[in-house]
Amino acid sequence: MAGSGNAHLRPDALLSARDLVVEFPAAGGRTVYAISGVSLDLAEGETLGLVGESGCGKSTTGRAILQLPRPTSGTVQLAGQELTELDEDDIRKVRPRLQMIYQDPISSLNPRRRVRDIVAEPLFIALENVSRRTAMAVWQDRIGELLQNLLRRAAVPLRIVGRLASVAFVLWILSETVEERAAEGWLGWTQVPAAIIGFPTLALLLLAGAIALMLGLTWVLLAVMLPFGLMSRQFGEVSSAVGLAGVVVTTGASAFMLWRTWSSFGGWAKWLNSGGLILLTAVLAVWLLLSIAKPERAGASGVATTLSAMVVLQVFYVAGLDGGIKLAVLVASAVVDALLFRWVLRRYRANRDAEREQAEPRVREVLEYVGINPDDAMDRRPWEFSGGQAQRLSIARALVSVPQVIICDEPVSSLDVSVQAQILNLLEDLKNLMGLTLVFIAHDLAVVKNVSDRVAVMYLGKLCEVSEPDAMFDEPAHPYTELLLAAIPQPDPEAELGSGRIGGELPSPMDPPSGCRFRTRCPHAAQRCIDEEPEMREIAPGRFVACHTPLVGDSAPVRVEMASAPRGES
Amino acid sequence: MPDLSGSDERPLLDVAELRTTFHTPVGPLVAVDGVEWSLRRGARLGVVGESGSGKSVMSRSIMRLLPKSRVTSTGNVSFDGIDMMSLGRRELLEMWGPQLAMVFQDPLGSLNPVMKIGKQVGEGLRVHRDLSARAARSAALGLLEEVGIPEPHRRIDEYPHQLSGGMRQRIVIAIALACSPRLLIADEPTTALDVTVQAQILDLIEAQRAERNMSLVLITHDLGIVAGRTDEIIVMYAGRIVERAPTSTLFSDMRMPYTEALFRSIPKVTDDSHARLEIIGGQPPQMTDLPLGCKFAPRCKYAQDLCFAEEPALIEVPKAAPARSSISGSADDGEPDPAAGVHLYRCFYPVGTPEAAEAFERNIASGRVSEAGVVIRTDD
Ligand SMILES: Nc1ncnc2c1ncn2[C@@H]1O[C@H](COP(=O)(O)OP(=O)(O)OP(=O)(O)O)[C@@H](O)[C@H]1O
Ligand SMILES: Nc1ncnc2c1ncn2[C@@H]1O[C@H](COP(=O)(O)OP(=O)(O)O)[C@@H](O)[C@H]1O
Ligand code: SF4
Ligand code: SF4
Ligand SMILES: [Mg+2]
Ligand SMILES: [Mg+2]
Repeated sequence: MAGSGNAHLRPDALLSARDLVVEFPAAGGRTVYAISGVSLDLAEGETLGLVGESGCGKSTTGRAILQLPRPTSGTVQLAGQELTELDEDDIRKVRPRLQMIYQDPISSLNPRRRVRDIVAEPLFIALENVSRRTAMAVWQDRIGELLQNLLRRAAVPLRIVGRLASVAFVLWILSETVEERAAEGWLGWTQVPAAIIGFPTLALLLLAGAIALMLGLTWVLLAVMLPFGLMSRQFGEVSSAVGLAGVVVTTGASAFMLWRTWSSFGGWAKWLNSGGLILLTAVLAVWLLLSIAKPERAGASGVATTLSAMVVLQVFYVAGLDGGIKLAVLVASAVVDALLFRWVLRRYRANRDAEREQAEPRVREVLEYVGINPDDAMDRRPWEFSGGQAQRLSIARALVSVPQVIICDEPVSSLDVSVQAQILNLLEDLKNLMGLTLVFIAHDLAVVKNVSDRVAVMYLGKLCEVSEPDAMFDEPAHPYTELLLAAIPQPDPEAELGSGRIGGELPSPMDPPSGCRFRTRCPHAAQRCIDEEPEMREIAPGRFVACHTPLVGDSAPVRVEMASAPRGES
Repeated sequence: MPDLSGSDERPLLDVAELRTTFHTPVGPLVAVDGVEWSLRRGARLGVVGESGSGKSVMSRSIMRLLPKSRVTSTGNVSFDGIDMMSLGRRELLEMWGPQLAMVFQDPLGSLNPVMKIGKQVGEGLRVHRDLSARAARSAALGLLEEVGIPEPHRRIDEYPHQLSGGMRQRIVIAIALACSPRLLIADEPTTALDVTVQAQILDLIEAQRAERNMSLVLITHDLGIVAGRTDEIIVMYAGRIVERAPTSTLFSDMRMPYTEALFRSIPKVTDDSHARLEIIGGQPPQMTDLPLGCKFAPRCKYAQDLCFAEEPALIEVPKAAPARSSISGSADDGEPDPAAGVHLYRCFYPVGTPEAAEAFERNIASGRVSEAGVVIRTDD
């Protein structure tokens, strides 16, 4: 389209998004214009299909409606309530009314939780105490993002550093014995590299290795934890208490180590050596602090990492002690760890059982709706299900909190044809049964046509055409829609392979074309399309198009032979 | 259709009695069970079936790309007279690239994330053609251009993650084409891509195939993809071939209830919006615990007692039987090709016969199957 204008909007919509703009910062101070002024509305009980090429901004639109993240500008109203102005706590209260189903059913469900807990989760999100979200929580997000970006950009250097780090790490652990051996006059093999490149260099390398290793580890931990949403409040508190204890213990211990190594050995080499250890402690301490700041995200993995981090550090510190004390400390710390584990697990289970009991009837009900036998499924984990069953579970999860609107982002794209048909029929049944209102995102036009009451075609962050599906598919009005339709594979060997191909790739959303955004690939592009952005207008009852020369209506051009479409490649 | 008049040619690839078994903790899993087909030079074979039906395992067995342990693969795979099953690692390395190449479903997974694109594309050439680094680079540049990568001079020094999904798949194709293989096996090459890119990629594969007179095996679960782009189609279910026919015959005169069900479950743009889709009831079979008789019986709307007791053999459609609504069949079949022209199926009550119609009626009457043809009671 690439058009603006709001002619297609209606006043009585249940959900209405106006002029949504989402921009992401990109490298070199540039901006990704992911969506640029998309306006949509949705009447109660209606299914709106959203189609377009990969990268055109379908998911971004869906997520902007959910405020994940908040749009750069624009407004979203759900039943008259403005969402873009709500703070985090209130958004969370709205969330049960606005659910999302994702493309990849299995990986969008937490693999470590049982079906009963996964499905029940939305019931508890709204109840959670969110005032614990502090500035630290925001920082955890930022650090996570930063590390992910870093890692994306630095894939190669990181691999090298990672390898060096693992070598260095081993050497580092061994270097303690190097000095002991050297003192005995025995030249250990680990001393050879130290002798060759000089101990200071080695020490620096070790430090760099330790930093890289910790960065990598932190990133992995964050990556593991971040996607898996939210845990119950009490559990979060327990895990943060443990985390806090961990920080106190490790900080205390590192202070002790520092003092001890300095006083008993002296000398810069040992200092550096314990410096690495301190660094390790510091990084872990930051990590632990962060997970305290965000208890609702700490979850099972939070506790696991907190405890295992403690255990790792304990081992290091114990290794630094001598003789009889070593053994005593080792035994004591093992006992403490075991008790902690037990205590945490008990607290967690008690809380979980209470929640389960409370949620059970509702969970059973929705599982039955989606055609899953609750007795079989409740206590299994997501990866024990096929893709189609897992998608049914996601649907059950989305239904459990009686949402007003469900945004389905490519819910059948990763499924087999036969399973896809089951899921599409299921959504249709549930819609008739419960009066669901759906936004259905997909790139398969046949699928979109099947489920939608209204279809919106997107191109490079803007809307091209909004229309009732049968009319749109019989007679596409926007040149882009026409080319999209021609690309559909037909299960009929006699059907002509669509001759009009959209050549080339989508232009970069960092540098969208002037005027009509589709003009670089449009077979009908004229000077006017370069100069002037087309506005959304009604060309026939219920048909809205943003094109200067739509293919339907009074101003329709003589149809250009499709083969004259610009062919970038192939 | 490509020119198939290549006279006496024996098939390029001949697969017979191919059987691949995974030894899993819960018992043997026969992922491919006695598969037989052959492919002529320049011909295009489509393989369809639900996920888990054994399509990928079959192609990996042919390529000899199976995991090393806990797998047994037996049978005959003869590629241009070479017995693939007897080749050692070294000989296989020589075959992969110049003789057979494969394109996998997940383009990012099959590229090395930390190697520059140019190097990955040129690698095969350096190994098989003994090209220098410089020559390989310029050959890689040519290949990138051929597969439609815009600005190949810039892209050649980029890493895979810097490209879009469609471009990555083009790179994978460039790598597969680098040594001009005589057979390309494309395993769901576009399942991860959107329609427009999918169409571009399929066009690209077809153009390159025609230009190089390559044979193509196109694996997919979408009948729409193979419809206009293959000469012959194999339908797989539970590791077996359940139907095999020239493409136009398959669509005009399908015999196997499974093929029919697969076809009907696809939403079609030509249908009205909100048209009810016909689903295949039930689940794909548990591969470690297959039913006794016809493997499709628990989900089949025509299934009778016989189907549960005995497995039908793969038989040929009697020549006398007229194609029901063949529009084109006769045009091609002027001189039926003995190798590619056969129509085989594995069913006691083939679709379109009066026996099948009766069987369906009986199932509705007994309450096993709904009017819409979905199995509602499985406890037979
Ligand atoms: N977090 C982000 N940071 C930077 N750019 C982003 C981010 N998320 C999305 N984008 C960009 O915004 C544009 C729209 O992305 P979006 O995910 O909405 O596409 P889509 O239409 O859902 O595509 P697909 O069909 O592949 O899912 C793309 O160019 C994408 O690269
Ligand atoms: N490495 C493996 N070990 C055990 N079973 C496997 C392995 N790879 C595939 N299978 C099984 O073999 C069957 C066929 O799989 P596959 O060929 O991948 O199906 P598809 O038709 O989707 O390509 C499935 O039941 C699958 O679970
Ligand atoms: S005709 Fe002009 S306005 Fe219409 S889609 Fe093409 S480029 Fe855009
Ligand atoms: S009719 Fe019988 S033999 Fe044929 S597919 Fe159905 S179950 Fe199998
Ligand atoms: Mg998306
Ligand atoms: Mg596969």
